[in-house]
Amino acid sequence: MEIQMTGQTTGKAIELEQAAVHFGSFQAVHPTNLRIEPGEFFSILGPSGCGKTTLLRLLSGFLDPTGGDVRIGGKSMVGIDPSVRPTALIFQNLALFPLMTIWENVAFGLEMRGWTKAKRRARAEELLATVALSDHAGKMPAQLSGGQKQRVAIARALAVEPSVLLLDEPLSALDLKLRQHMRAELKQIQARTGITFVYITHDQGEALTMSNRVAVMNRGRIMQTGTPDDVYDRPDSAFVATFVGEMNAVDGKVVTALDRVALVETPLGRFRAANPKGLGPGDEAILFVRPEKMRLLNAKEDEDNSIAARVTRRDMEGAWSTVVAHAEGRELRLHLPHSGRDTPPSGEVTLGFSADAGVILPKGEMSDD
Amino acid sequence: MTRLFRAFGAPLASVILLLSGVWILGLIAAPQLIMIEQSLWRMERPEGSAEISVQIDGLYNRLDVIGLDRSVAESETDSAKRETELAALAAEEAAIKAEIAVLEEKESTPVKVYTLDNFGQMGSAHLAIFAKTIVASLAVSAIALVVCYPIAYAVAKLETPRTAAAIMLALVIPYAINELLRIFAWQMILNNNGPANALLGLLGFDPVPFLDSGAGVFVAMVYAYILFMVFPLYNVLETLDSNQVEAARDLGASTWQIHRRVVIPHARPGIAVGCIMTFMLSAGSYAVPYIMTRGTAAPWFTQLIYNRFFEATNWNVGAAYALSLLAVCTVFIFLMMRLLKVSLKDIAK
Repeated sequence: MEIQMTGQTTGKAIELEQAAVHFGSFQAVHPTNLRIEPGEFFSILGPSGCGKTTLLRLLSGFLDPTGGDVRIGGKSMVGIDPSVRPTALIFQNLALFPLMTIWENVAFGLEMRGWTKAKRRARAEELLATVALSDHAGKMPAQLSGGQKQRVAIARALAVEPSVLLLDEPLSALDLKLRQHMRAELKQIQARTGITFVYITHDQGEALTMSNRVAVMNRGRIMQTGTPDDVYDRPDSAFVATFVGEMNAVDGKVVTALDRVALVETPLGRFRAANPKGLGPGDEAILFVRPEKMRLLNAKEDEDNSIAARVTRRDMEGAWSTVVAHAEGRELRLHLPHSGRDTPPSGEVTLGFSADAGVILPKGEMSDD
Repeated sequence: MTRLFRAFGAPLASVILLLSGVWILGLIAAPQLIMIEQSLWRMERPEGSAEISVQIDGLYNRLDVIGLDRSVAESETDSAKRETELAALAAEEAAIKAEIAVLEEKESTPVKVYTLDNFGQMGSAHLAIFAKTIVASLAVSAIALVVCYPIAYAVAKLETPRTAAAIMLALVIPYAINELLRIFAWQMILNNNGPANALLGLLGFDPVPFLDSGAGVFVAMVYAYILFMVFPLYNVLETLDSNQVEAARDLGASTWQIHRRVVIPHARPGIAVGCIMTFMLSAGSYAVPYIMTRGTAAPWFTQLIYNRFFEATNWNVGAAYALSLLAVCTVFIFLMMRLLKVSLKDIAK
């Protein structure tokens, strides 16, 4: 898919400086600092009600911060109407105009800018061609499929040549296959146009696959900002650890702490794991280990940490299988690559993980997901 | 039909069919048909009545001649001859009297004649009132639309559900009050000695004859029928997805452009229903113009219809007048639907 822009459109940087929003006594977004680079694909990931949509409305201009500043391309956007901001918004329900044809939808922004009908039509046809919808210009939105409507919404937003494209979970209504396809398309459009994309989602898969960087939000705060690898491999809070990806969690208390590694006492025994937050002896802590970093140890093997457990279930997931084991009444999960040749584990087993596979984080709110 | 019976069972389906039949016949067909029938005839003197009266005159002449003949016969001396002559004259007289009675009966009994003439009975004065009524009703609809659109939009889209409920309640309360009471209240407000003129007086204006000029009818009508505009508009605007409005704004639309391109097109069925209702109610209103003017201003067309029926006691012309009004209202409905590109299906929603 090729999107040519007529003008010189480049993405602009977004800066939040102590930007905050409260509705009455409810603090929807706590004072937040954030910089999104020009041309970046940036995702804001969080559970529903975490304030991510409020943050998006702050950028699109439907909401002004109750404190702090919002800048796009270095210019403060406070008090600037959505209609004149260099942003375009793609709504969760797409919000195509049902009483206008497809091409009129795409050309709506140009109509508002006073383009003549002939010019609008020509530009709309061009944009529709780039999203492979040339044959549908005269149809009504209701006549298109979900994926086609999605592409119309993208074309409509791109028609106004925004510097920043804001996307509010636009893929959530699509089925899995189409969603995966649209992820790739969005990523391509972003790369070609160089527009800054801010993508709101509660779906970590979307955030991790498409983004240059991800911000994980909870309860009106950005908990962590980093590359998808950062937030997945090096979560720095219990919430991020449990919200992004699957996680085994065991709570305990730090016994001894070195520079990078600490020893934590848990009901399942003592474990060595990374200590990125520099917890000290006696601190309440939670030990996290990803299921795919757990291994089954055979009798001769030795590992930094080991747990005796009993396999209670095995779920076949396709490329891997999830083995559910219990130790001291706690559930532990591990992912085994599926080769199709091994006999599935059963009965009493020893699970192990290396010291750098586990991470010890301060006790805190965890995601329910 | 079979589907109806399958869905509801024979007893219930029969009841539904029966009630639908009663509805269609009793509430839709019967009143219109009665009115149409009434408008299509009039009573006329019978055909050839001129010849009949000439004939009757001739017969009366003949009676006089018989009277003369009788006095001649009475002077006859021959009693037998006299008696026969008188008897012949009496017989002839009775025959003529009987014939006169038949002819007179024929001459004076009117005949029911079907004709379209009733529709041509409207003189230029009545036609002017008819036109004035239509134009004024259009104006009432237009004013109601202009007033109600922002209200309905604000209530449907801008206010929180609680505020919206409070505003709707405030709108409904005046309608819980008896219509006559409301109209009389306005009559008193706009009276020459009423509060409206008192206020104008305080501001140094001369009293305005609201009622005599007919402006009062207009004000009271806008007041009386405005709710029939608010609700259809509110209902349709409430179904507008707010994201559409925001999407338009995000794409650079001004407030006016948002309304022109997104909100009004969506509201079309509501606008059509609201305009049709206010127009029909205004054009068909009797109480409002009657109470507001009490004969001091030019009448509303409904008053003319009333007069045809009860004062001129010409029910046939009255029916024709009423049907003319109905015809214009029907034309108006289809015109509105055409203009706003809405179908009956949209309105039914």
